[in-house]
Amino acid sequence: MTAPLQHRGPDAWGTYLAPEVAFGQTRLSIVDLSAGHQPMATERSVIVFNGEIYNHIELRAELEAKGVSFTTHCDTEVLLRLFETEGTAGFSKLNGQFVFLIWDRKTKTLTAVRDRYGVRPLFVLHHQGRTYFSSEMKSFDGLPDFARRYAPECVLEHATLWNTLGGRTVYQGIRCVEAGCFEVFRPGTESQRGRYYEIGQELGRIDVPKTIEDASQHFTGLLQDAVDLRLRSDVPVGAYLSGGIDSSVIAHLTKKNKKENFRTFSVGFEDSAFDESHFQRLVSDQIGSPLESIRITNESIEENFMEAIYHTERPIFRTAPIPLYLLAKRVRECGFRVVLTGEGADEILYGYDSFKELRILEQWKREGAATSAPDLLKQLYPHLRHFSDPKYFGMMQVYYEGFLEDFDNELCGLNIRVSNNKIIANYLNRDLGVEFDKGALLERLRAVLPADFSQWSLLQRNSYLEIRTLLDGYLLSSQGDRMSLGHGIEGRYPFLDHRVVEAAFSYPDDFKLKGFSQKHVLREAFRGKVPNEILDRPKHPYNAPDLKAFFRNGVLTERARHFLSEKVVSDYGLFDTKMVARFLRKFEGKIPDQVGYRDNMIMIFMLSAQIAQFWARSPKTIYLDPALKRVSLCDY
Amino acid sequence: MQTDQIRDNLLDFLVRNFVVERQDIDLDKSLVDEGVIDSLGLIEISAHLEKTHAITIEPSDMSRQNFGSVTRIVEFVARKLAKTAS
Repeated sequence: MTAPLQHRGPDAWGTYLAPEVAFGQTRLSIVDLSAGHQPMATERSVIVFNGEIYNHIELRAELEAKGVSFTTHCDTEVLLRLFETEGTAGFSKLNGQFVFLIWDRKTKTLTAVRDRYGVRPLFVLHHQGRTYFSSEMKSFDGLPDFARRYAPECVLEHATLWNTLGGRTVYQGIRCVEAGCFEVFRPGTESQRGRYYEIGQELGRIDVPKTIEDASQHFTGLLQDAVDLRLRSDVPVGAYLSGGIDSSVIAHLTKKNKKENFRTFSVGFEDSAFDESHFQRLVSDQIGSPLESIRITNESIEENFMEAIYHTERPIFRTAPIPLYLLAKRVRECGFRVVLTGEGADEILYGYDSFKELRILEQWKREGAATSAPDLLKQLYPHLRHFSDPKYFGMMQVYYEGFLEDFDNELCGLNIRVSNNKIIANYLNRDLGVEFDKGALLERLRAVLPADFSQWSLLQRNSYLEIRTLLDGYLLSSQGDRMSLGHGIEGRYPFLDHRVVEAAFSYPDDFKLKGFSQKHVLREAFRGKVPNEILDRPKHPYNAPDLKAFFRNGVLTERARHFLSEKVVSDYGLFDTKMVARFLRKFEGKIPDQVGYRDNMIMIFMLSAQIAQFWARSPKTIYLDPALKRVSLCDY
Repeated sequence: MQTDQIRDNLLDFLVRNFVVERQDIDLDKSLVDEGVIDSLGLIEISAHLEKTHAITIEPSDMSRQNFGSVTRIVEFVARKLAKTAS
């Protein structure tokens, strides 16, 4: 089970064996390179840990003041000692991105823990009377009599929300430990779940700044501290630059306190429609950091898609993860192992269009169509021609009018995503008997929402949902953790420091979305520090060539043709062969200049779902290098 | 052109371009709300109607009244054609 995780930790590995439990760990060495090997043990407990505890120095000092002594400088030992001292109550003190398993040798109790926002993955499988855990599901492929098989109803839920709810995964029998939760396992008893964190838990406990000026100062202070904590590393740290405001702010704050051995990394595209090199250079020049950039073509997307899906393990919706997979490779080649990035800002500071859409729909419903509310639609997507063209404006009105009835239900802004994505149900094999049922989806969602969800503003509710669906199920996993650690690179996310998230969550909506000015507090805070050209440019979502990357001169590429052929589609059984063939016929020989969101999504979803199935059916055989084994503990 | 011809032509266009089964299209429900098309789809339909029936769709024509279902679109096109003929 450990060998398939080698890419996550290429520097060392180790094992622990006992009658009741066995641990395996592959290590990416970042803190205390010589002494931090795992599994790590004390007399009382043994731990395997993936991730980082950024405030380990402060926690260590706190524990030392209580008389606890340490033998290493590693954050892993801090985790062990904290748990031994404070038990599960200590989890809320952790600032970091982590999953860990701690085995109490005395009480024979196993505790599994996952970070607040699901940056690091932890999957669980109950199989033949045993419970298995892993950072990636491919670890389970080697178990006797086990094969990963899709749960079709979960595949559809994943397709509509970009995530599955309540810890489910797209595979039968495999679930995950949910973000912000821990689970306690004792032999012969049911596991017990606890939650140590929920988004919005600090509402009412935080002193909310009264003015935008105060909020700007407050937010800058928190974010700078979040960046500084994430610069703690015994190996070089770099930063990604996308050309947008979020990564520019992070690079600016990083460079402020990291003068030496700092480099920025970016993705450029051959196709100018996707390329943001100009803005990336603008920031790297301003902060005086060398910029290492890779150039992405349709060919490089297609050629690396299969390997990237090996790592995502589940269907994706865009090819955008693939350039980041290739960028991580370049980062590693440059001798870096850690990068800071801007993920999380769109969710916590209302950066997505879904927030603007909700604000328009709210006003429209309140004031009626006879007012100017529908005209606000024109401001939604200034970069899309048809939104400013009066001829087509009415069409947009017809489209959005359909959401007036239910935009304020529990799905909030996701109503639009669900409406666009439910088309995937038409492509599923009808023999599977899976149909889209919005009522049932709402029921499942209600079951996992926090108790005070309904008391939040509409935009706060949407923020929560974006964090728990898009961020958790796609951006941090398929596009984040799995792509960077596919090449042994650790991504760190200052905007997801829980103090930053809770502060942003507590700010009034207008501090985040002022009119249609998104991330208002961030723009205010960094005006004069980050170039105005970056701060004032319309939002340009990070995208890569999708459907077009899999056609050459109007003909489907060989790999795509194979996985979407009638034979393979029929063998794998997830999709309807006739629908797949008809979809492809639509584009053979005649790809339009502008391919819509939905067609891009359907193509990438079907192809990635097929390839993920291929990898589940054909696991790679990987062996660990015996020379890299650093720990071999045994309690027999 | 008869309304059933306008309907058949529109349904053929939908089946061909939006990869949907003809029997799955409810003639009296919104194509958008039912997930048959997205916002770009409305624009494609509009362009198709203008080209096929040689009609001009004005901004003021864009409403749920005219585009709220296949039946409504067909009635709208028939009205436009009748107006042009007269």
